[in-house]
Amino acid sequence: MVTPMDASLLEVKGVSKTFDGVVRALDDVSIAVRQNEIVGVVGENGAGKSTLMKILVGVYSPDKGELYYRGGKVPFPKNPKEAAERGISIVYQEKGVIPSLEVYQFLLLGHEDKYVKFSRLQIDKMKKHAREILEELHVKCDVENFMYELPLSTQKMVEIARAILSVRLEHGDEDITSIIILDEPTAPLTIEGRRELFSDILDMKKNASFIFVSHIIPEVMEFTDRVHVLRDGKLVANYDLSKEKITEEDLFRAIVGRESSEYIYKPEDKRVVSEEVVLTVKNLTKNGCYYDISFDLHKGECIGIFGPAGSGKSEIIKTIAGLISFEGGNLIIRGQKVKADELPHFRLGRGIGYFSGEIGKELFLNWPITKNISIVNMEKILRKPIPVISFNTERKMAERIVKRLRIRAPSVNTDCYSLSGGSKQKVSVGKWLERNPDILLLEDPTIGIDVGAREDIYETALEMKKSGISMVLVSDDPKEYSMLCDKIMFIKDGRIQKVLSPEEFGEVMAA
Amino acid sequence: MKILGRNKLITPVIIQTLKTHPLIIALIAFVVMFSVLIPARFLTPLNFSSILRLFVTYTLFALGPTIVVVIGSLDLSYVGIWMLGGVLLWLLMPILGMLSILVYPLLGLATGLLIGVIQVKAKIPSFILTLSLLVTFAGLAAWLAGGVPRPVREYEFITAPLIPRLPTAFLWSIPIIIAAVFMMKRTRIGTYLYAIGSNEEGAGLAGINVDKYKILAFTLSGLFTGIGLIVLFQHLGGSAPVELKLGNLVWPLAAIVLGGTPLVGGSGGPQRTILGALTLAVATQGLYLMILLPEVVALLLGLLLVAAIVIGTRGLKGVTIT
Repeated sequence: MVTPMDASLLEVKGVSKTFDGVVRALDDVSIAVRQNEIVGVVGENGAGKSTLMKILVGVYSPDKGELYYRGGKVPFPKNPKEAAERGISIVYQEKGVIPSLEVYQFLLLGHEDKYVKFSRLQIDKMKKHAREILEELHVKCDVENFMYELPLSTQKMVEIARAILSVRLEHGDEDITSIIILDEPTAPLTIEGRRELFSDILDMKKNASFIFVSHIIPEVMEFTDRVHVLRDGKLVANYDLSKEKITEEDLFRAIVGRESSEYIYKPEDKRVVSEEVVLTVKNLTKNGCYYDISFDLHKGECIGIFGPAGSGKSEIIKTIAGLISFEGGNLIIRGQKVKADELPHFRLGRGIGYFSGEIGKELFLNWPITKNISIVNMEKILRKPIPVISFNTERKMAERIVKRLRIRAPSVNTDCYSLSGGSKQKVSVGKWLERNPDILLLEDPTIGIDVGAREDIYETALEMKKSGISMVLVSDDPKEYSMLCDKIMFIKDGRIQKVLSPEEFGEVMAA
Repeated sequence: MKILGRNKLITPVIIQTLKTHPLIIALIAFVVMFSVLIPARFLTPLNFSSILRLFVTYTLFALGPTIVVVIGSLDLSYVGIWMLGGVLLWLLMPILGMLSILVYPLLGLATGLLIGVIQVKAKIPSFILTLSLLVTFAGLAAWLAGGVPRPVREYEFITAPLIPRLPTAFLWSIPIIIAAVFMMKRTRIGTYLYAIGSNEEGAGLAGINVDKYKILAFTLSGLFTGIGLIVLFQHLGGSAPVELKLGNLVWPLAAIVLGGTPLVGGSGGPQRTILGALTLAVATQGLYLMILLPEVVALLLGLLLVAAIVIGTRGLKGVTIT
């Protein structure tokens, strides 16, 4: 069967999905995939991208909506096997690879029954078949290599090849065009790895269609043919990149959906930053992540590192926190040079606190609020002269934070896993209020939480800044930079492009 | 009026305690069951003291390893410390006299420190590491002892009766238990160990030197085992065995898991282990008194453990393990 180039291979119409009858994850969303094209599906965290993809591969079933495959209406798949019958397969962001298998074993995993003769596996036939497939799809690797021996980008390619293969085998048709969903495939890769992966995917375009799920704007601009933009569960824009002229800023605005006036800096917040330098970063380099990063952080100053996801901003802040090591350059904290592989607890000893919005990264989920707050403030809750924990002081400390940050919880003894996302984040940030570190590193401080909780966290951060705590901010939300930062470094491909004042940043964002 | 008011306060506390410690219900159920089935044998002062003796054995062996389980690792070296320490005690007796009992805490401390350092530096799974060490110690003990148990008679005073029907070893174990619970619940060390078991990366970010406290956990485990063995040596007959028995290894571990300290770490602790040890002692002693075959007793205890672990890992609704 030949499908004309313009007709849709797969079409989803009017899909809605509600969770627990309350949370509206998708609202009347329609997207289409044509033969041999790469379609981008972009949006912020929580925009509904993953929900839509999970519906396509049969993990969730939609409340409403229709699915068309090659022009004919078909029911939504109930499991990944049925999805493969409709030509759809997915490559997840991580944990898809089994490192201890050889390439051909991994590629044909689950399809061994097709290679059995007299109840034994025909290894040579498997290898031959695997080699043919990889050659056809331009994946350059030896089928006898172990998966872990391959570079990450090649591992991804083998995964994609495996997805294409599973569609073919499920269909029993060699020439079927697979629709492969790539769920943020570049997240674990270095800058170089990303480039390789994309040139390989472009090579594969004649064998398959791709749905490319991402929030990395430059990648989407460069590699997709058309883009669907999701925001808060709704489809807000469609762009045909081959026909329309779209800038990164246009796409950005469609994704975040804010008026550009929000990015204009408010001069009344402007204040003089102290001359005292608390942190000096000099020519800091980690190959494949970031290069030649230099800046001075003053007391009471907030520096933002702004750039697209994958630009190296997250690695820089993690390096300062001690979560990853650097390879070149110097990191000088309060006048002292530090070792590249120093662990986080040494950095905290030097006065650097790290706060991440990633759930469960630094929170002790099976602990009550009290303990989560007191863990970095042990000195304050130990009695003197015998260092015994005073539960009373601990409780009072937690009650102070709960009140100040308006944390919604039945009591301070509530275990953290039962709190809402916003409350969890507030507990995480609240413990630093009592500790008062010299430098606080904020990574995606408000990711995935509601507006009210966001405002509370911003307010707290501004208060801490006023009290003389220096900060470094990394986030996906430009609004946060204009609200919190005194200086914004724009970074791309691991290098600082320019340093902007909040006014200039606001102008650039508004333009 | 006053009594009424107090009652209103006490009831929710009891409900809360039962919710967080469902094992108490099982313990009461066992006591009731055996009291009804075999009242003549179970409800006797002699049996009461037998249960306490068993409880002391399980508890003193399990307290140290509980500390290690809290950080999410395992320490099986306790039986090895008992065996090797016993032989060293016999060898040192003629030279050091009564002081030679101190070989236990010292050997425990040294063993724990060694395990901790190797585990942290070489990143070997603690289960394999401590198991290997246990076998090494057992072999060394048998070799040094020449293959036969060597009794030492000088410490009989440790278990000499003080209060009728109450095993003296039980009295000795009380301060050790209190020390362990206090350390885990009311000090910085304890808090940090729970933190490591709950979220290792988070612990590092909260300023805890993870490696140092891991080593400390193993060292404390060895030390508590060693101190407990000062009592246990005489309690278990005044001579260390030269043959490694599975039961000695398994039942203390069972007490930890039964008590509700999950093997993944981060919660539970010594206060739960004593509850587990008591339940296990009552169950063992009760089944034994029912004059069942030893094999049947082992089978039933095994099933009990499986049930406890399934409940413990899946979590009863509304139960938080503290």
